[in-house]
Order: sequence, then C-alpha cells, then structure tokens
Amino acid sequence: MVEDEAGLRENITGYLNADGNICESCERLADAVNKLAGFQYDCIILDIGLPDGEGLDLLEYLKTNLRNEAVLIISARNSLDDKLRGLNIGADDYLTKPFHLAELKARLMAVFRRKTLNTNNLLSFQEIEIDLTGRTIKVNQQAIILTKKEYDMLLYFIANKGKIIAKNAIAEHLWGDEMDMHDNFDFIYTHIKNLRKKLMDAGCPDYLRSIYGMGYKFLAQ
Amino acid sequence: MKLAAHYNKASILITLTVLFAGAVIYFFAINYFANKQLDRNLTQGLAEAEEYLKTTGTEPQQYDLDQDHAVFIKTDRIELERRYFDTTYHNYREDRMEAGRAVEDLCKARGANYKVTITVSRENTKYLVEMITLITLALMAGLLVVLFITNKYILNGLWKPFHHTLKAVKDFNLADSARFSDTPSKVEEFTELNLAIHEMANRVRSDYQQLKEFTENASHELMTPLAVVTTKLDTLIQDETLRPDQLSQITDIYASISKSTRLNQSLLLLSKLDHQMIRDEENINLKITILEKILQFQELIKNREIVIQHQLSDKYIHASKFLVDILLNNLFSNAIRHNLKFGTIHVTLTNEQLIVANSSSATKLPANQLFGRFQKGKESQGSGLGLSIIQNICRQYHFELSYQYQDELHMFIIFFR
Repeated sequence: MVEDEAGLRENITGYLNADGNICESCERLADAVNKLAGFQYDCIILDIGLPDGEGLDLLEYLKTNLRNEAVLIISARNSLDDKLRGLNIGADDYLTKPFHLAELKARLMAVFRRKTLNTNNLLSFQEIEIDLTGRTIKVNQQAIILTKKEYDMLLYFIANKGKIIAKNAIAEHLWGDEMDMHDNFDFIYTHIKNLRKKLMDAGCPDYLRSIYGMGYKFLAQ
Repeated sequence: MKLAAHYNKASILITLTVLFAGAVIYFFAINYFANKQLDRNLTQGLAEAEEYLKTTGTEPQQYDLDQDHAVFIKTDRIELERRYFDTTYHNYREDRMEAGRAVEDLCKARGANYKVTITVSRENTKYLVEMITLITLALMAGLLVVLFITNKYILNGLWKPFHHTLKAVKDFNLADSARFSDTPSKVEEFTELNLAIHEMANRVRSDYQQLKEFTENASHELMTPLAVVTTKLDTLIQDETLRPDQLSQITDIYASISKSTRLNQSLLLLSKLDHQMIRDEENINLKITILEKILQFQELIKNREIVIQHQLSDKYIHASKFLVDILLNNLFSNAIRHNLKFGTIHVTLTNEQLIVANSSSATKLPANQLFGRFQKGKESQGSGLGLSIIQNICRQYHFELSYQYQDELHMFIIFFR
C-alpha cells in the first residue's frame, strides 16, 4: 500500500494482515518503486496524492516494466476525469475516500480475482463453492439460488470473514453511496435474514452473527 | 442602435448642416461680390455720363448704351448723396421687366444740376447665383449618397473583426480548453482589443484553474481525515468487548461521517455545476432511467409501504448520465424521505414534462425559499442541498423546475424546453 496518511496506513495494514495475507506499506512513490523492484506483489493499493508525486506515475512504471500487479486506487478526488484517467492507464478499480475497510477488502479481493480469473474462477469457503464467472453457488455440491443482492452480500461477507462489519458499510456496498439511505438500514435485515435462511437450509452452519445495533459478522469457521 | 448607425446619423447631420450653412453663406457672399462688381461698373458709367454731360451741348438725353440705361433729370437740389440701390429695369430689347441695379448722383453741367440715374440689368448675376445653388444642391445629394454607401459597405467591412471578436467572447467557455481565436485586423484598436481579451481570458482561465484546484484540494484535505476516522472506527468495532451503549455511540459517529461526506460531495457537485464542468452528454431515454431508478429505490419504498404509481412515455433528452442519475436520485430521495408511511408517489413523464408528486405530513411549502442552499424542513435529515442541486442541473439543461401543492400532493415539475 502506498499512502502518505499514517492513520490510514496503520488501519489498512492492520485490517488486511490476516488470513495469511501480508500487507506492506510505504509513504512515498520512491519507496514504492524500490519495493516493487525487489518483490512481486499480488495487489497494490495506491493513493493518488503523494508527497513526492502523482500516484498515477506508478501506473506508468508498472506498465513500462510489464508488471502484473492488480492496482486499486484510493483517492479523495471524486472527479470523473481522475477516475477515468486512472482506469485508462491501467488501474483495476477506483475507490473514493472515505471508505470502509470492509469495502476496501471486498474490492481488493475482486480485482485480485479478476486478474487471476483464468487460473482460478472458483472461490470456496468451507462447504460453500462460488463459480465467479457463472455467478452460481453450491453448498455441499448442492446448487442454491440467490438473488443478486444476496450473492453480492455473500461475496462481501466472505471477503471480510471474521470481521465485524457496520450496517452502513453493508448498505453502501449494496446500494452505492449515491443513494441516500436516510440512516435507515432496516431493510438490510431482510436480505441478511433471507441469505442466512438459504445457507442454513442447504446445510451450512449459522455463519452470520448479529452484533447488537452495530452490524454483522461472518464467522471465519 | 449600432455604432455604424450612430456614426451615420452624426456624419449625415453634420454634413447637412455644414452644407446648408455653406450654401447660405455662399449665396450672400456671391450676391455681395456681384453687387460690388455691378457698382463698380455703375461708377464707371457715371463717369461716362458726366463726361457726356460736359461734352454735349444740348439738354442731356436719356440714352441706352450697352446695357447701361442712363436718365438725366434736371433738379434744383444742390447736393445729393451718391447711392446704389436695387430696382427693376425695363429691358427694351426683350421688352420685359428685369431685376436691376442702379446708381444715382448729382452732376453739374453748364450751371445746372442734373440727377443722373444709371441702371444695369442684374439678370446675369441672378443666373450665376441660381447655377451655383443648383450645383451646391447636387453636391449635397451626391455627398449624402457617397456617405451612405461608405458607411454601409466600407464601415461594415471595417467592423468585421470586431464582430468576430464579439462572437468569440460570447462563445467563450471556461470549461473548454480551446484557445480564444481571433482574426488579425489592420485596425489598431481592434488588435488592442483582441490582445486585451486574450490576456483577460488567460488570466480568468488561470484563476479558474486555481480555484478548481483549490476546490479539489479542499475536498482532498477534508476527505482524508474522514477516511482516517472511518477506518479507525472500522478497526475499533472489531473489539468484541464493546458494550451496546458504546456501539450505539459509534453508530452515531458513522452516521455523522457519512453525512459530512455527502455534504462535501454535494458542495463539490454544486461548484462543478456552477461552472458547467460536467459535459459528457449523451442521448438518454428518461423512461428507462426512471424505471431503473424506481427499481433501485424499491426497498426504501417498500420499507415505508409507499405506493408508487407511474405513467411514463418515451422521452429522450440530451444530458449527462451522471447528472440525470443525481437528479432522479434527489427527486426520489425527497419523495420517499418526506413521505408518510402508507403514502403515495406519482411519477408522470410526458414529452413536455416530468412530475414527481408525493404525499406528506407537511402542508404547502414556501416556493420562494424551497430551492435555496441549506434550506430544509425542521425534521429533515438531509443536507439541505438536494433541491438546490436539482435546480442547478435543470438550469444547465434549460429545464424549468417548479413546485406546486395540489390535492395534498407536493409536486415537483420539470418542464423540458
């Protein structure tokens, strides 16, 4: 992760350093280039405004060196131009600050999966098996049918397994931040209830735990 | 009135005045000098008459010599002032009365006094004056025609670079990075004007660029701390030992962050709209977009058990998809947010207008304050910028936005033009 804000760096590395993932971070563009010269990474989280230059310059570096890392841009700039520019020079996704850690993790997993889709289009968690290209789900080899919202939610929970996720983070993920939810997240509950019921009917243990007033946690095992 | 017309008017007026005054002066001056010339002739005639009087032995006779017509009258007066005067004159040869000039004086001959009156015709002078007047009039008419044509064609040609510059200034758009173009002109003033406009455009553009960067940077500076707070909270809630009351505090903080984020984004959007910076326009079928939007909002609608009715016909508009999305988001958000439980929403789309009407516990809203920034109802949880954004988007596409309260429904109407 290349990010100059110390607070963000700490929290993101703390959140991502789990499940055997390793997240390294640096503050400057030059450090990032040094690290990239020495190691091969799966994903890069890149801030655009850095003390020693534009984060987009790193994309050029990756391009000229034929590097294969998936790049997720995090930027405070919400302007369409920046977004398009970033995606045009080879970034895989663009996340606007502020964001929830759960959202970052889910997006990161998505871009990584997209990069490696040829070799691995199956995502499995315990007895759940998800075909990412066909968007179908099998539990114990038994197909179950989920709505689009439930499918997105399941992927989101699996990406953030073992973590408590706030309700508004889930709402923002599913409905986007353009839609004003009026701080009313009651209807998330309906989707959670349906997803839990479908999973348990197919023989899954109850993975979803409600955290009082706060949100939900998808148990890691 | 165009400058050329003003100029035309002034130049014609001045020309006419000068020509007229000139003609009057001309008339009197020619008359004066002609009379002078005649008087000189008359003086000479007088001398001849005197000579005649002296040499002739008999009573002096009236005689016609050349054009001179001399009359001798014996008089008792000893003194008579020589005087010149206008008179009528009988031309014997043509037998008609003509205007004439005469002189009378006293002559002494052989002890008697004679009053001598010599008259000459002024017909020649009159003819001269008439000719000169005619020529002057013709000159006046000619000058007028020439002036008119000059102003119309040559001046218009001269002003061409100015009109070009004017058009370029009218079409000037800050958001366009196209340079201000001008046609080279031989007129120093226009070249100077172009230069000044060039400099102004560049200055404005650089100021604008700075302002734009400032706005973006301000947003950057605001968003980053908000991102830090959000991620810190995301980390904090992983602590399973937090008590419910602490969690509820954190939920409130989340809500506040999301509110300030939204507010910041709205302000940025408004500033972009003010500068018409969003111009990725395309043809959009509003009917399809509205149907998608209703689908997107269906959970919120169902949650409050609101009945939504729509009557939509195909309507294409040329606009930015991004802005239309925001426009509909805000319209629907408002219609749901300010609605009653078990309330209604009516959406009507025709070729002329889009109406979004909703029931509400509030009565008629004050239309004049409705679209102001940070104007919101007492119980509203929104930012107070929603309607202002709707209005600005409408303004960008020259739609007319109005509000009506009818049959206990709050109606927001967008007229397409």
